[in-house]
Amino acid sequence: MALLELQGLTKRYGGIVAVDNVTMSVEPGEVRAVIGPNGAGKTSLFHLITGVVKPTMGEIVFDGQRVTAMPAFSRCQLGMSRTFQITALFPEMSARENTRLAAQARDKQRWRPLGGGAVFAEASRRGDAALERLGLSHVAERQAGLLSHGDQRLLEVAMALAQQPRLLLMDEPTQGLSVEETAQAVEVLGGLFAGGGLTVLLVEHDMEVVFRLASKMTVLHRGSVIADGDPATVKADPVVQDAYLGGYT
Amino acid sequence: MRMTLAVAVLLALLPLGLPPYAMTLLTEALIMGLFAMSLDLMVGYARLISFGHAAAYGLGAYTCGNILLHTDIPLPLAVPMAGVFSGFIGIGIAWVCTQATGVSFSMLTLALAQLLYAVAFKWTSVTGASDGLAGIPRRPGPFGTTYFSTKIGFYYLTMACLFGSFLFARALVRSPFGAVLRGIRENEAKTLSLGYNTRLYKIAVVAASYILGGLAGALYAPFAGFANTELLFWLLSGQVLIMVIVGGTGTLVGPILGAAFFLLVQQQLSTYTDSWALFFGVIFIAFVLFAPEGILGLARRRRSVRSH
Amino acid sequence: MDVLPFLVTQCLNALSQAALLFFLGCGLTLIFGIMRIVNFAHGAFFMLGAYVGWSAVHWTGNFWVALVAAPILVGGFGAAFELGILRRLYGRDGHAFLMVTFGLTLVMGEAIRLLWGVEALQVQMPVSLSDIVFILDEPFPIYRLFLAGSGVVVAIVIWQFLERTRLGLLIRATSQNAEMVHALGTDVRLVRSAVFGIGCGLAGIGGVFAAPMVTASLGMAPNAVIDTFVIVIIGGMGSFLGSMIGALLVAFVQVFGSYFFPDFAMAFMYLIMLTILVVRPGGLLGKEA
Repeated sequence: MALLELQGLTKRYGGIVAVDNVTMSVEPGEVRAVIGPNGAGKTSLFHLITGVVKPTMGEIVFDGQRVTAMPAFSRCQLGMSRTFQITALFPEMSARENTRLAAQARDKQRWRPLGGGAVFAEASRRGDAALERLGLSHVAERQAGLLSHGDQRLLEVAMALAQQPRLLLMDEPTQGLSVEETAQAVEVLGGLFAGGGLTVLLVEHDMEVVFRLASKMTVLHRGSVIADGDPATVKADPVVQDAYLGGYT
Repeated sequence: MRMTLAVAVLLALLPLGLPPYAMTLLTEALIMGLFAMSLDLMVGYARLISFGHAAAYGLGAYTCGNILLHTDIPLPLAVPMAGVFSGFIGIGIAWVCTQATGVSFSMLTLALAQLLYAVAFKWTSVTGASDGLAGIPRRPGPFGTTYFSTKIGFYYLTMACLFGSFLFARALVRSPFGAVLRGIRENEAKTLSLGYNTRLYKIAVVAASYILGGLAGALYAPFAGFANTELLFWLLSGQVLIMVIVGGTGTLVGPILGAAFFLLVQQQLSTYTDSWALFFGVIFIAFVLFAPEGILGLARRRRSVRSH
Repeated sequence: MDVLPFLVTQCLNALSQAALLFFLGCGLTLIFGIMRIVNFAHGAFFMLGAYVGWSAVHWTGNFWVALVAAPILVGGFGAAFELGILRRLYGRDGHAFLMVTFGLTLVMGEAIRLLWGVEALQVQMPVSLSDIVFILDEPFPIYRLFLAGSGVVVAIVIWQFLERTRLGLLIRATSQNAEMVHALGTDVRLVRSAVFGIGCGLAGIGGVFAAPMVTASLGMAPNAVIDTFVIVIIGGMGSFLGSMIGALLVAFVQVFGSYFFPDFAMAFMYLIMLTILVVRPGGLLGKEA
């Protein structure tokens, strides 16, 4: 059974249809990329999945449970963790405190108002493990706001991983990075995904990044799905080529 | 911890050597310190800037005043009861105010506090309207002791409330709950996206802040012997915010120092001029402009510069 | 009493009240829309306008002089404050502005107390406006009609100013893209000073208008600032039309509320604001927050 299913998802803003009757699914263990030219509705779709906005029509089902009307923080509690297009961190905390706070969100006693040493210990353990997986252990004590751009990006991924997500949602993971930083981030993320065990849905416009990372692709054009499948098939699809080339003429 | 203990011992010994008027001033400083510290929980740890914190103080003062005037409940019990009541109202106020964020939140706190102020003017049977409640006694007990009615006994009661509250507040901000608050302070959207229901956390911290602020007001009523609408007025909300900012937000200790500093300067200035508030406005603006980290922050910066 | 005359006069009352609130609300929303600054001292500038107006009438015996002098002085003081103090805060978060203008409110309140004393000051209406007219056989003060009319005139003037003049164009452009305006060779900092001055000057006009009806007193500032914020929150921060709608709504609630339910008029106002905040967090015409 699919981990995430979108059924006829539609979002209208006034007269503009940003997302038009999108049906797609993410199977456990796959790394799926949603691609499309600018204005294709990628970001709107991402907002619908994460719960930032509510759809006009259609359903979102996560692990057999309808989450269409669920607020963002509750979806996260079900195991959907996300990263932002513009890096979102706690800039005055250390990298460790960032991942610790992320991991703490998964603890039943996350709200404990007094004591809580055990909560912190467990969250730190998971947070440190996540930092290590992304090769950030050496900057763990440094203030997050002072890290390099690339490291901040990876730290955000580490925060999501510290939550041990069942579905990792990434909004343009290389947006705003330099060429070198992008190469480095793709390297680290590629290693991470190759390790298996993660289910990922990422939105990205950089085709090279997508072909390096994704095992499945969904192509959006003007809010609708025009192709779906493995990267090689999608790349060869004339409809896709037309949509992309069409965007430039 | 050692520092806390040392300060506690010092404050406990002070009554032995101080003249009565200084004792009065010191007691008031401790009450104000508690009030300012309670606001710091909101301002310093969750960046919830309240312009209406007098509501907590006034609620505590009127509640405690009514308990002491109309029942036989002894003083040391009436004070925490009033604090808890204030906390309950605080939940309601927080529920309303957290509908909004940022500046709108601040304005809502001000509006609701002014609403309470207006209610206090009309509700004569409970608040005594513009006359206020006068002759609030310090009821003896528990177990018939009259110790807390004395000047020194009341001082120790105040001190106990301040230290108890400080230890509670410090445990709170160092707990997992406090970690989430700091997350909200730095990036609320991110905290929400990590799966925290941030609004509930905000309501909870406002309630805690109202309990401690209510406690301070509850101490003030029997300390002064009266409670009036001034205690709900926006000017008091402004003063306490100044104490917090000048003392240093997010430090708990800073606002206590800020309150003491405020009262001391007020005491000194008011013998020369009756417009001390003018100076305070200027000092406050200067702090926001040049030293937003407050007195305690300045001291820490000085120390870290020297040690490097 | 007949229903129709009652309704008509109360509506006129509300309109004149709305005019006052509009002077306050549009100044605040102008400053916010362009500078992203929430000016807590707005009520204090309103109060300053009333006191300056009193002095002008006191010295010259002419209300019209006050109506011109007060906004200029108050606006000038506002612009000077922006130049001297607020300018140092650009780049800090919004709360810094809120707190500095809050401090300014305290300072202005005390300074006014020192300069003018604690007594409320009665400002003489111009003789030509102090009469009463009969509307459907109900007596109604001319001054309030004049006030309502002035509100309409000022609203049109501001609207035309923003639409038609060069400075108005610059102001609108600055609110959308300050960097671009700066790059095109206009000193954005001067535009900001001007906007802050104009906004404060509008509050000052409101103060002069209000003074003959409610006297100039030290309690004006907090009441005005709360009303103003209610208006702007209802209408939507930064929306000119929104502040007009907010002013009308609040004025009608205040006038009719205090007639029918004198004890609950204020509660009504807050209830409306809360309802709107719950339904549309950004205000009626604001961007969704």
